Amino acid sequence: MRNLSARTALGLGCIAFALILAFIWIPLDTETWLVERKRGRYIVGDSLAPTLAAGFILMAGVMLLFERHSPDYHPSRQNLVFIGAISIVGVIGILLMRWAGPVAASLVAAEEYRLLRDTAPWKYIGFVLGGGTMVFCIVAFVEQRATWRALWVTLVAVIGIIVLYDLPFDDVLLPPNGDV
Amino acid sequence: MTDLGTLDYIWLGILAVFQGPEAFSLLGVSVSITVMMVAFGLILGIIVGATPGLGGVIAMAISLPILISIFGFNSDALLPVLGFLIGVMKGSTVGGAVPAILFNTPGTPDAYMTTLDGYPMAKSGKARKALKISHFSSVTGDTFSDIVLIVCAPFLAILVETYLDLPEKTALLILSLSFIAAVVGGSAAKGLLSCGLGLLAVYIGTGEDFYPRLSFGSAALSDGIPITAAVIGVLVIGAIFTELENLWHQKRHTGAIEVAKDEGDQRLHWADIRQIFPHIGRSAIIGTIIGALPGVGSTLAATIGYATGKRIYAKKKKPEDPEFGQGAPEGIAATEAANSSVSGANLIPVLSLGIPGNTAAVFLILAAESIGGFNPGPAVFKFSSDLNPELVIAFGLFTTMILANLLNWTVGGVFMRSLGALVRIPKQYLLPVVLLLTLASLYVQETSMSAIWFAFGFGILGYFMMRFAISPLPFVIGFVLGGRIEDTARQAFSATGGDPWFLLKSPIAAAFILCAFAVIFLSLRKPKVDIT
Amino acid sequence: MKKLLKSAVVAATILGTSTAAFAEDWTPPGPIKMIIAFAAGGGADTQARLIAEELEAAQGWKVIPEQVTGKGGLNAVNAVKDAPADGTTIAMIVTSSLGYSMVASKTGSPQDVTLITTTAGTQMGIVALADKGWKTLGDVIEAAKGGQEIRFGVMTPALADIAYVIGKENGVDFNIISVKGGKAVTNGLNAGDMDIGFGAGVQAKAVAAGDMVELASARSEPLKNSPDAPLLSDYGVDFVSELAFLFVGPKDMDPAARAAIASAIAEVATKEGGKANAFLMKGFGGAMILTGEELEATVQDAYDSSGALIAAAAD
Repeated sequence: MRNLSARTALGLGCIAFALILAFIWIPLDTETWLVERKRGRYIVGDSLAPTLAAGFILMAGVMLLFERHSPDYHPSRQNLVFIGAISIVGVIGILLMRWAGPVAASLVAAEEYRLLRDTAPWKYIGFVLGGGTMVFCIVAFVEQRATWRALWVTLVAVIGIIVLYDLPFDDVLLPPNGDV
Repeated sequence: MTDLGTLDYIWLGILAVFQGPEAFSLLGVSVSITVMMVAFGLILGIIVGATPGLGGVIAMAISLPILISIFGFNSDALLPVLGFLIGVMKGSTVGGAVPAILFNTPGTPDAYMTTLDGYPMAKSGKARKALKISHFSSVTGDTFSDIVLIVCAPFLAILVETYLDLPEKTALLILSLSFIAAVVGGSAAKGLLSCGLGLLAVYIGTGEDFYPRLSFGSAALSDGIPITAAVIGVLVIGAIFTELENLWHQKRHTGAIEVAKDEGDQRLHWADIRQIFPHIGRSAIIGTIIGALPGVGSTLAATIGYATGKRIYAKKKKPEDPEFGQGAPEGIAATEAANSSVSGANLIPVLSLGIPGNTAAVFLILAAESIGGFNPGPAVFKFSSDLNPELVIAFGLFTTMILANLLNWTVGGVFMRSLGALVRIPKQYLLPVVLLLTLASLYVQETSMSAIWFAFGFGILGYFMMRFAISPLPFVIGFVLGGRIEDTARQAFSATGGDPWFLLKSPIAAAFILCAFAVIFLSLRKPKVDIT
Repeated sequence: MKKLLKSAVVAATILGTSTAAFAEDWTPPGPIKMIIAFAAGGGADTQARLIAEELEAAQGWKVIPEQVTGKGGLNAVNAVKDAPADGTTIAMIVTSSLGYSMVASKTGSPQDVTLITTTAGTQMGIVALADKGWKTLGDVIEAAKGGQEIRFGVMTPALADIAYVIGKENGVDFNIISVKGGKAVTNGLNAGDMDIGFGAGVQAKAVAAGDMVELASARSEPLKNSPDAPLLSDYGVDFVSELAFLFVGPKDMDPAARAAIASAIAEVATKEGGKANAFLMKGFGGAMILTGEELEATVQDAYDSSGALIAAAAD
């Protein structure tokens, strides 16, 4: 792998992906072919447009192999550590956002969360816990330490967003209350 | 019903802006909601432009769902919402120069060139004057560009509608897409890849068949990927991640910010204006031409405007004047006029063809699509004798642009010069909060947790694209145009009775397709500069 | 079916009061999610949102609209059918979602959902720009026979089938162009991309102004704005497009909830001077309320007859 430039690797990856897309994914996961016969005429089928996308990606892959060399950009190990950490924080935050309210309701409330999703304080549980976790953890991670200041900023921000959306608009629902 | 002429439509457009629902009345003069929204947008735009790490795109992404919640889904909502977005667009271009001049930190990427002469001027005690020059040049360039837009877009649209049939329209869309892929970013191959991924993403779960294609039979993919989630994910969240990582690397290591004291005469004299005006004019023309091409951004305009100005200035300047790069007012003028004159011209392809050329235009199209009742494209400019409401909206839109410019001329400069403190907001707090605000905002519009998952996922994709130096813009434009390309191609194919060569039968369509290949091929051979 | 619809309109007020008595103590146990199967900003979407707004005002309920578009309304049907049946989830779709879409996709039946009430029908006609010079569909068929290629814009697969059958019965071949939404047909006609097309009512203003003509009615009865336009049966076509907008709930919905929501919607749709009522008047020829067994029979009828249209249009 050491001799393979990131550009070449990306190019080969694109070619492989485009071929899988065009010859396996699209044919197996689409109802009609490139064209189909309907009402006595040929019409464009559902496979044609995705195949065009595959063509773009394939062409990009081939061009990457032959393009003149400029700096060989690629993600470093540091980049992967960073985005990995951010992804974990994000996933935990979104999961909390979705489930904290329903779990709390099932433990404490008489009714199920679905019916409480427009009732304070239930409707804020998910957003405060999930959103707060997300903001605080990212700040702490970027600063490499957890500070009280970060916690206050987080709380003010979360409350600020609630004030911005929930109080003035009757029809606006904070996550996750629109689709529980 | 009386027949409506062109002038009637222009007048109706102006009335639609000023005589819309009243927001409040000031000294007996009623101020319409649209006027108020343009002013709000402009102020917000200047603020986010002046805040490093934020920008017009983030402001548009966050405010769009709120605006739709306020104004609802009907055609009365169009002018206030679009006017606000236009205000943000114009304001952020002006605001970007503030930290560039005062602190050598560009507030927006296209203000980078402004630091070259702006910061030296500020250091030598001419900060206020530099800001005035920047503001004057920026607004002049912007106004010029808007005038070109207003004059050109209707004619171009009528040309398109008169001469282009469905096959030619399909070919034109393909040409635009390959042009964008080829010119945006450092590499045509990567542009093409970005575009291909955008197309693939928009084709998942959509289509004409009852089975949602490419969905693996899963419910989450079967409704398709929400357009706002994809656009905001790749553009905004990806950029937030990238910016956060830079901070993580710096670990809060920021040098102390020095602010120079103003010394001497800070006023902008008539002689100053005469001195910089040739540079403004030249750069405005350069910026407008570049802006009219879809996908080519304001950074390139600023670069070319600055370089051209530098060459000419070197020949003409008096020996005692500072050189470009050492605090020459002409340098600021050449840069700011060029990058600001992109924004108006950038709307030419949007309004006349429905093809977005930059991120701001993408958000205007998103707004129009979410609200409904206005479909940017050639059909808008149908001067029918019975009322064509879309045409009124189009002229209303032009009016809001003029209005935003007037506000920018008058109060924009004063406001902008008061925003120096914004650079001190710590980004490590600001960015995570903006991330949550963006997600909440997205949810307000889509009311589905899957939209948040999609946006987060596309944010990670956007991050990796940046790390591979792949511009996200072709992805977004591919996503926005993908559905239209497919629909137009389907219609063209059916309209020609199922002719497989429909793209090559007419000379115009064939020429477009040929150009599409030529653009890709030529961009492959030429070494390129980074011009996002 | 035409008589059925008319009597239903007359019966609407009576029905409204009687069901109201039966369901007057029902209140939703939480906010009501209203799924809308139509793209934002179109006539159908505006109709749904106006109804939601007035339901909130009139009943004090909380109604949260949500867009679920695509696949001829089947996406919306899928979203509503398994939702809790306590009246907290309803969807606005169109009758063909439960008819043609289900038959053509071979999935589901009208019994997958509980029918609540219709709100309005459509004024479906075949339209062209006036400057084409055609007066009736017959002129178009003559032109096609004379060798002119005719592009026919349609916005649903069912209408595409009808367009094809019109051609087949009259010995001509139309180039049928499918687009998304009635507005796209109007735009296509204006741009010259299409010669004729279906209009569900958006053409009303252009017809009144003399810019467009209605060449034929695609309904079982003449169009309100062009009573002289011929019917499709005059051209040997037995199929019509009687679309109506309707609200449905999940399968096995609580009867009290169903009746309460039906009467509440009927009330706002027919209330003189109300925003929803005015909008229905303008775009869809007025409110048309159909509930209970009559509605079930109508929807089942549409479902059963869709097979015949699909068979007639199959090559």
